[in-house]
Amino acid sequence: MKDHYEKIGTVGILLLPLLFALRGGYLQQVTGYVYLFLIQGYVAWFIFFKSGQPFFGYSVTMAIGAYGTIVLTEIFKWPLLLSMLVSSAFAPVVCVTLFLATIRARGFYVSMVSFLLAIMFPQLINALQNITGGRSGLYFSGMTAFIGYKTLYVLVIIITVIVAAFFTWIMGTKTGKILTLISENDRLTQAVGINTRKYKIIAYSIAGVISGFGGGLYVNYTGFISSIDIEVFTTLYIFFIPLIGGSSVFYGPILGALFVILIPELLVPVERYFRIFFGLIFIIVIVMLPDGLAPSIQRLLRKIRTKDA
Amino acid sequence: MLLNGIITGLIMGGILSLPVLGVAVIYGITGIPNFAIGVIGVFGGFITWYFLSYSIGLAIVIGVVVCFIVGYIVQRILLTPISEKGGDATLFFIITVSVGFVFEGFIRAIFPRPNISLELPRLGTINLATFTVEGFKIIALVFALGTLVIIRLLEEHTEIGKSWQATSQNLKLSKLVGIKTTQVFSIASGIGCALACVGAIFWGSLYNLQLSSGWDLGFMGFIVAVVGGIGNIWGGMISALIMGMVMSFSGYLLGGEWQSVILYFIVILVLIIAPKGILGSERSL
Repeated sequence: MKDHYEKIGTVGILLLPLLFALRGGYLQQVTGYVYLFLIQGYVAWFIFFKSGQPFFGYSVTMAIGAYGTIVLTEIFKWPLLLSMLVSSAFAPVVCVTLFLATIRARGFYVSMVSFLLAIMFPQLINALQNITGGRSGLYFSGMTAFIGYKTLYVLVIIITVIVAAFFTWIMGTKTGKILTLISENDRLTQAVGINTRKYKIIAYSIAGVISGFGGGLYVNYTGFISSIDIEVFTTLYIFFIPLIGGSSVFYGPILGALFVILIPELLVPVERYFRIFFGLIFIIVIVMLPDGLAPSIQRLLRKIRTKDA
Repeated sequence: MLLNGIITGLIMGGILSLPVLGVAVIYGITGIPNFAIGVIGVFGGFITWYFLSYSIGLAIVIGVVVCFIVGYIVQRILLTPISEKGGDATLFFIITVSVGFVFEGFIRAIFPRPNISLELPRLGTINLATFTVEGFKIIALVFALGTLVIIRLLEEHTEIGKSWQATSQNLKLSKLVGIKTTQVFSIASGIGCALACVGAIFWGSLYNLQLSSGWDLGFMGFIVAVVGGIGNIWGGMISALIMGMVMSFSGYLLGGEWQSVILYFIVILVLIIAPKGILGSERSL
């Protein structure tokens, strides 16, 4: 029952920024940006922390969705929605291929391969400058031309809520439970006769589709993408979202996204010292609060309540 | 062109082998993948650049010593305590990347320019058939190979080298026989960062050093070490030389923008085909 309230509470909190749609301006713009990263954060929460798959290619799957959408729409003149869907369908192909290719390797080596892909992809985008615009990037009016910026913002919020609800739902299904089992003990799961490879492929496919779609949505919202937006640090920031927020609770990635995306915004006045503060804050949080912000806040509240009682 | 490509590749590989050696020394002894060593090395490169107008030798010594101290302290106060609590490779990846952020921030905050070139003496030129190479580049290559030999000799023939080997092979037993393992780890980390600093100085002299160079050197150093068999010093060296050749020839044949793409593509293929690297890892990740 407590778990049920936690899920409803998470959805409720996620819907709150719809109020900003009335005001518009900078706050709305930043909130939309945070939510676009939250979609990717939930992908990391699902594939890395809940399914136990050492994947670091979030910026790659996101970029495939984003660049695929622009190239198919602008160069091949496909309808926008179809372009987004086809690009989203291509992202899991990369994830699953990577998984199948590294099936002989274990643990951190698999992480390294996907991490290398995240380092290589922006270089590939730069090398294909004639199509992708490289560092100069590509501009894209996309959905804003049809539905306007405010409606797109509402759409981003609603899609993020659907993504979060979907991931929390799937973790409660048989597939989700098997993925949890795989993340706890892969060999034991195999030993009891479960085809772990099938479930891992399912996990990578889901993660790839949603990350790719999130990428398509990203480029529609920001109206621009360049190789700088998908550098390896993007993958790290995405990975930090559930890690900092706390991967054990559903609302952990929300706190993580606020932290990872908003802290740089708050540090703009001390831009010269930004990286020092950013790095130190990460180290302090990881060392002092290894379970992440959300479980630590939960523990603190429980302590206060017990004291009051 | 072939000779030109080979020599450029050897020099690139030689310089690259220094951070690779740093990664191999740190990982081989402590078992910790340290992704910050490139940034710490470049931080040392910027310090060297700052003092270059006083005396070249003194500037290099200051840069290298500062990096050694930084590596020592980071290992002593941050990484060893986490390792003792049972931190895994992913946790170290995150922590060391965060340490890298801090030192990248220091470079930006302390130094007036984000892009520098270290003006070191070129030491004349040497003619090899139709190709001319600067004496400085030869020194860089010889230094890299010499460092490898020195580290191997240290490991085999000195007390501290034997304590390195013992610590990497059996930590508990090493503690039991009285080896100060915490100190061994810290010295290894210091040496790794100092090597990365020398690599950054050479790199900064031949090309240039930017804020992002630390990540390029660190990540590249790490992946080249992984391809060689992480923790395996010889494997790391061979891998660095091969990767230097790959970069050199892909640059000549396809253009500079494809250099890194081809390099990373080959590294990914190697990791897929031989996950333990060319010569195999002495530790497992």
